Amino acid sequence: MTRTLLMDSSLLANAETVVSRARTGDTEALGELFRAFEVPVYNLARRICRTTEDAEDVLQETFFEVCRSINRYREEGSLWGWIRTIAASKALMRLRRNKYRDADELHDEVVGNRKEDTHLRMDLEAALERLSETSRAVVWLHDVEGYTHEEIANMMGKTPSFSKSQLSRAHARLRTWLGEEMIP
Amino acid sequence: MNHLTLDVLVGLREPGTEPGQAAARQHLDSCTHCQAELERLHQRVARLKSLPTLRPARDRWPETRARFQAERRRRRTRLAGFTGLAAAASVAAFLAVGNVPRPVEMTGDQLSQVMERSQVLESALNEYNPEGRVIDGRTARIAGEIEDRIARLDRELEMTELLRQQATDQDLLKLWRERVGLLDALVDVHVTRASNAGL
Repeated sequence: MTRTLLMDSSLLANAETVVSRARTGDTEALGELFRAFEVPVYNLARRICRTTEDAEDVLQETFFEVCRSINRYREEGSLWGWIRTIAASKALMRLRRNKYRDADELHDEVVGNRKEDTHLRMDLEAALERLSETSRAVVWLHDVEGYTHEEIANMMGKTPSFSKSQLSRAHARLRTWLGEEMIP
Repeated sequence: MNHLTLDVLVGLREPGTEPGQAAARQHLDSCTHCQAELERLHQRVARLKSLPTLRPARDRWPETRARFQAERRRRRTRLAGFTGLAAAASVAAFLAVGNVPRPVEMTGDQLSQVMERSQVLESALNEYNPEGRVIDGRTARIAGEIEDRIARLDRELEMTELLRQQATDQDLLKLWRERVGLLDALVDVHVTRASNAGL
């Protein structure tokens, strides 16, 4: 069983029944889908987007799309895999729309927008936040969510080489910021 | 000794083999420095995966549901509007054949103007595309209420068109003016919200 199928069963035990009901437009069933996947969708969006507001908007846009398109969901893959792809696309769309600066340096004024909970963050959290939006999105989608470079490139409208180079650059910066560089 | 670059180490984690990777793997087998670097990379990824799960601070389902329901209502309204238009066209044809007296010219002109204004507002709404936008709960509720009223008015208009022999053009004009007023309010709700939110 794949990781995403495992997610389905752990988040929503009776997924098939709920999806069948949701397909008839049953808002209670759609609400159950929302409750089951709201946290992983938000987590994904928050890791990619700059602000909590953006991540919450992505959460809403994702489930609005889920409600509209549940009839198009083919049960060949996992439900979480389908919802996750919608969420990732919406989050990347949000990045494009916001047109944040995509420089690779720390911008105090931009990082200042993510003040919440910073005192609780571990070093890695802070380093992740210092990455540019694109690099952070690629790191998260590739290393945590398990998307391939081809899939990421497809979602971003870029080439797999772009995704690969973003990932390398991101790891180089993380390594520096986390003080993990080795002296040859 | 030339160690492997991070680019190469990151690439080595990928399934399959790319040109040059065989030599890199051979180097890796014999270089403790590069092995340590790759191990750090694996550990970093493992730490990324174990970062705490972030949760939304507030419940976004009521807004999402309201937005979805509003869109569903709009779709139904459009369908009803289309049916109404078709019915009205049939009635118009019937009336033409039945030689029913034509409406007073002045009211007819006014009616055309109001219907035209209604079309302009609907086009503006379509162009604004409220379905494709994030909407807050309050706006969704107000917009939903206005859309419900427009849907009810459309049904009334449809009936009036069907029973046109008994209804005067003044009745129709009144209904169409009410529809324009509601559409105006709906445009206002969406556009005001957007400008307030800086969208």
